[in-house]
Amino acid sequence: MHAFLKRLPMKLWILLFALAVFTFFSNDFALVDIQKTALVLAAGIDREGEAFSLTAQIAVPKGTDRTTGGTSSVEIEGKGATVSDCLTDIYARTGWVPKLIYCDLVVLGESAAAGDVFDCLDFFLRNEYIPDACLLAACEGSAKELISSTSAIDDTSALALEKLFSAAAEKSGQVMTTTLREFAIGYYGKSGSGYMPYVRAEQQEGSAQGQGGARSSGGTQQPQQEEKIYSARETAIFSGGRLAALLSAEETFAFSLLEGNVYAGTLTEGGKTYVILQERGSTQIGEADAPAVTLRVDCKLQLYGEDSTSSPERLAKGTLTDAEEARLSDLLTRRLQALWERCARADCDLLFVRRSLWRASPARYAAWKDIPLSDYAVTVLARAEGLR
Amino acid sequence: MKLCSRQILFFLAAVAPVGKMVLMPARLAAAAGNDLLFPALAQLLVQAALIFGVLLLSRRERTLFSLLEGAAGKWFARVVCLLFSLFLLFAALLPVIEQKIMVRSIFYDTIPAHLVFTPFFLFSAYLCSRPLAALGRMWDILAPLAAVGIAGILLLCTGSCDLAALAPAGAAGWRGFGSGMTVTCSWFYDSALLLGLIGRFPYRKGLAWKGALCYLAGGAALLLFLAVFYGVFGEIAVLQTLGFARVSAFFRALPVLGRIDYLFVFALAFVMTFYVILPMQEAVGTVAEAFGSPAPLAPLLSVGVNLAMLAAVYALHFSPSATVSAMTSSLFWIYPIFTAALPLLLALRFGRRHARIS
Repeated sequence: MHAFLKRLPMKLWILLFALAVFTFFSNDFALVDIQKTALVLAAGIDREGEAFSLTAQIAVPKGTDRTTGGTSSVEIEGKGATVSDCLTDIYARTGWVPKLIYCDLVVLGESAAAGDVFDCLDFFLRNEYIPDACLLAACEGSAKELISSTSAIDDTSALALEKLFSAAAEKSGQVMTTTLREFAIGYYGKSGSGYMPYVRAEQQEGSAQGQGGARSSGGTQQPQQEEKIYSARETAIFSGGRLAALLSAEETFAFSLLEGNVYAGTLTEGGKTYVILQERGSTQIGEADAPAVTLRVDCKLQLYGEDSTSSPERLAKGTLTDAEEARLSDLLTRRLQALWERCARADCDLLFVRRSLWRASPARYAAWKDIPLSDYAVTVLARAEGLR
Repeated sequence: MKLCSRQILFFLAAVAPVGKMVLMPARLAAAAGNDLLFPALAQLLVQAALIFGVLLLSRRERTLFSLLEGAAGKWFARVVCLLFSLFLLFAALLPVIEQKIMVRSIFYDTIPAHLVFTPFFLFSAYLCSRPLAALGRMWDILAPLAAVGIAGILLLCTGSCDLAALAPAGAAGWRGFGSGMTVTCSWFYDSALLLGLIGRFPYRKGLAWKGALCYLAGGAALLLFLAVFYGVFGEIAVLQTLGFARVSAFFRALPVLGRIDYLFVFALAFVMTFYVILPMQEAVGTVAEAFGSPAPLAPLLSVGVNLAMLAAVYALHFSPSATVSAMTSSLFWIYPIFTAALPLLLALRFGRRHARIS
């Protein structure tokens, strides 16, 4: 028995090893040949009645030498009852297996944003192979048109758009970016609200072919297309997953200030431009018995440019007069009020007032959660201060 | 060869928390919402007390089988050890499934073949055939790796974490706390893991309270991780079944630096591999000791155990949710029998300093 036990393990070891090796190497590990893989850089989604259309921007190698190297792209459209179905359609029509692990941008067309956007975004949230850190944006017109447009600044429209959503752009206060994770937290949270940058494409005037204009689609020479530049200074705000309103560029800037995002962003008033060196923004729920909210922004600014010539002394200092400080404080107050009114009219809890209420006091949240935002008493405290 | 007490402390402080950072945070968030820290804290305190007791038992420097044999005879000891080993195998199923899900989701960019996880069992079979004392050197290596992995992931999360999401405290109520306690039983069985190791390391003065403190220190890191996890994911935390592998992906510099978070994720995944195999290894070691000479029996048992686990994992391949629910909701009561009742009974029987062992 002892001798049997001594010999048996080795045989079993060999058997187990052989079994494992056989099972492991008897298939191709389900890995997909790179030639049959489509690396999706961005996805644009439009709603077509009850169905969806997904335009995938797929990276293709442009060339190998220094002059033609880089990323080019082709756009493929798939249609289906769900977003997943659209991807299957792309696979069926092209033979390319769409890989979304590098998909850093999802653009929603007007039609998709008009309905509950989570009808299409839930696919991205539940799929383990799509990063929740991917950026979201809404756009004017159809997402297909935007994704398929020719950028004046990059070979690939997705990469040009992502430049707009960089951390540096966000710090300028000109754009409010959001990720799938942040949007989903807002959507499923107590406020049921969220936002995305709203992209408009404008024709680049007088450019026949910019830096990135010579795009190749699958290696074939395409007729010259109109080159576009993109702007995302407006913000689409959502309530219950539906597009509720658009924030103007000024309101977007005010929103950025409230979120405390702005550093070295600029503000122009009365022919003078000021740079924001430091700012703190907050949205506070009142302690009173009635629903009240206080929007507060404190900024440190420096004079950055003027539309008229200044003396060398003034150029050297960059300080603000008391009148300028008062005027800027008033400007910020008006912008913050406009932001609140826009959100209140659309009943979009963009500033997460209800969520803050829940966190501060579940009892008061239960009592006030159904009160429209327009019935909240709002106090705006904006203070602009120059260097001393 | 024996484990040394330092290695036990390393295990309690650094390796044990890692096993609770994959699926548990999401399940806990589903049960207790933003109050997920309270059930975890309660479990940590209970486990720390039990670990204190188990380490006191280890003063006799006798293994579980040896203690039971001395108290109630060989056959009784064999039956208890067999049941204890079956429990360890049962407890191992959940972490093995977690490891499989993590490997399939993190190491591949599309759904891989079902069988890609098979080589894990080859490695597991090798480790399980090794004597338990061989774990010590591994823990010497794994402990700093785990510490660096946890610290790195927490560091990368700070910018995207909103700790205010944990408010208001107590919103889930006692019901949420109870659900959280129930669900987490399936991850807090460290006292049982330690019970399988007693007699395999020398007891040094103060080891019991040092062990409990080290466990609490590791627990503090776990609580911090849970807080950060909920702070990052908030209301969608219930969806995040990959825990530490997902939480650091929102670091703002990743697009520039590349996925440096994977360094820490892979470090923890490596640590997790050994933590997952540990219950199986202990089950093999305990039964081998109880039923014969460990040298020839352990490899045989190792192969059998791993084949059975492989079969179980693939048989349950298409019902991961049902399996996890069954283990954390319907069968959660099995855990306290071996993690609390058994150590407490042993502590009552052998805990007195001068108790004679026949």
